[in-house]
Amino acid sequence: MLQGVNRKIGLILAILTAGYLYMSYQLPTYPYIPVDADAIPKTLGWLLLVLSIALFFAKDQDTEEQKAKRRIPKKDTLALLGVFLLAFIYITFFQTVGFIIMTALFVYFCSWFLGYKNHIVNAIVSIAFPVALYSIFVYMLQIRLPQGILPF
Amino acid sequence: MGSIEGILTGFQVAFSIEGVLFVLLGVFVGTFIGMLPGLGPISAIAIMIPITYGMEPTLALVMMAGVYYGAVFGGSTSSILLNAPGISGTVASSFDGYPMAQQGKAGKALAIAALSSFAGGTVSVVLLMIFAPMLANVAISFGPPAYFALMLLGLTAIASLSEGSTIKALISAVVGFMVATIGIDPQTGTARFTFGSTNLLDGIDFLVIALGLFAIAEVCYLVMNRHKSLGGSGKDIGSLKLSKEDAKEMSGPIGRHSILGFILGILPGAGATIASFISYITEKRISKNPDKFGKGYVKGLAAPETSNNAATSGAFVPLLSLGIPGSGTTAVMLGAFLVLGLQPGPMLMGDEPEVFWGIIASMYIGNIFLLILNLPLIPYIARILTIPRPLLISLVIMFSLIGVYAISFSVFDLYLLLAFGVLGFLMRMFAFPAPPFILAFILGGMMEQSFRQSMTISDGNISIFFESNISLVLIILSALSLSFPILKNIWAKKKA
Repeated sequence: MLQGVNRKIGLILAILTAGYLYMSYQLPTYPYIPVDADAIPKTLGWLLLVLSIALFFAKDQDTEEQKAKRRIPKKDTLALLGVFLLAFIYITFFQTVGFIIMTALFVYFCSWFLGYKNHIVNAIVSIAFPVALYSIFVYMLQIRLPQGILPF
Repeated sequence: MGSIEGILTGFQVAFSIEGVLFVLLGVFVGTFIGMLPGLGPISAIAIMIPITYGMEPTLALVMMAGVYYGAVFGGSTSSILLNAPGISGTVASSFDGYPMAQQGKAGKALAIAALSSFAGGTVSVVLLMIFAPMLANVAISFGPPAYFALMLLGLTAIASLSEGSTIKALISAVVGFMVATIGIDPQTGTARFTFGSTNLLDGIDFLVIALGLFAIAEVCYLVMNRHKSLGGSGKDIGSLKLSKEDAKEMSGPIGRHSILGFILGILPGAGATIASFISYITEKRISKNPDKFGKGYVKGLAAPETSNNAATSGAFVPLLSLGIPGSGTTAVMLGAFLVLGLQPGPMLMGDEPEVFWGIIASMYIGNIFLLILNLPLIPYIARILTIPRPLLISLVIMFSLIGVYAISFSVFDLYLLLAFGVLGFLMRMFAFPAPPFILAFILGGMMEQSFRQSMTISDGNISIFFESNISLVLIILSALSLSFPILKNIWAKKKA
């Protein structure tokens, strides 16, 4: 029953849409309003449900190139997870540690993690970009970026 | 202010020192980013938006427009040199551009691309100058039903003209619209789908979606291909000189496809990609030597290059005069307008003539700068292709995160950016096109507002959408655009 990628996606979408529709029907309504806040979400929910069913029954027309895109080698999956983990750490400590330090650390370690071995160039780029961007944003555009533990 | 005065005001803005500098900066950055495989005008504009905060809106938009057509221009360089188009709008340019480069005539191919793009861009700016004010004058009379119908046409057209499955494109558009409903409903004050989080009360910022679905999703593919070398460095591209025969061969396609590209650019959902493919196919069909196409033929490169640049200016017609973007890229441009506190549309020409005409006038200078950048400087600019991928990946993530933080100062939005990056990656993996998503997200709020205004006017009677001729025609066109892929399938089956 669930052979083919369209069927699987169609089913997952239909389940998610059912949840969305449930939430849409929980939205409060008010009298004397021709189109309330729930009208569009309900319409969109039913529309997506119809489209999910249509996708479920649609023939898989993916090209070989498209199918190849879905085959991700294990080492690439690990690399992707690593990059997202580094980005997650960067975001988490962004405000407390500060923009310049966290950005420099992120750029350096992310590039190194992905296989860039020229440490001198990596270090220069990692420091130059955050400092330049911090100066542009804070001093030229007057947009505050987190100062963190640095005094400036 | 009359049109002549408006044009003069526009040129005053464009020819001011700041205007010239910001156009130059825009086209330079656009060319740079557009050259990088995968990072097209959407990512380029989205990455540049934070730089415009606090800037004078006219200059900021002049620069953003430069980024847009600069990115289209830059995409052709990687198509020709590496057969790795930076954007889909320059895929057709690689059909004859890359074989030319392989024959040792990369310089000639780049010169043809630069001159064709310049001609296509310049002719279409003249047409934009004529048609945008005309359409804006017509659109002043549009009421909420006509606006709703127009946006519906934009959405259905982009969904039905997207590559691959129409169902997937429609799903993408519906989900984009759903995301647009998150936050406080402006009419009733109801919090919709916020899950009790105060971070979602204002809805999701469009930059989170644009950078997530495009830039971060592209980063995922760059991570997977991090060891692949991009190859050429832009050195040794050969002579840039064109012969008299080359010039003669280029002139026909340039004339034809400047106009065709512009018209296709205006149409909702079409844009540079479809324009370049249609121009390539048309040129091949009318050619006396169709067998030369795909083997490094001058006409095969001049036609799509002229067309994709003409379409870029064409896409500004509905954006500037109606306030309705017809493609994913112009949807992000609309976002840039809104961030700067401006609402494009029929009132823009009257209320903010320096913005309306300034953008148009700046395109003349932009095209000249692009010609200068893309002829003598291209071997140097093309060295960006030698940036190691790991560094490029880190920098793109960094720019995306800063961009989002600078607009919202919210760490929550940064996590959301990563989440939309994952969504964008999955969408690409399963062939769901992202442009309908971003267009629906940007148009969603406006569509809902127009729909509810119309229903309030008619006291809940849906027939209001069929009462005026404009909205009726637009709704019929929406229905036709939706049925177009079905009819095409039936036709193809009958033929088989």
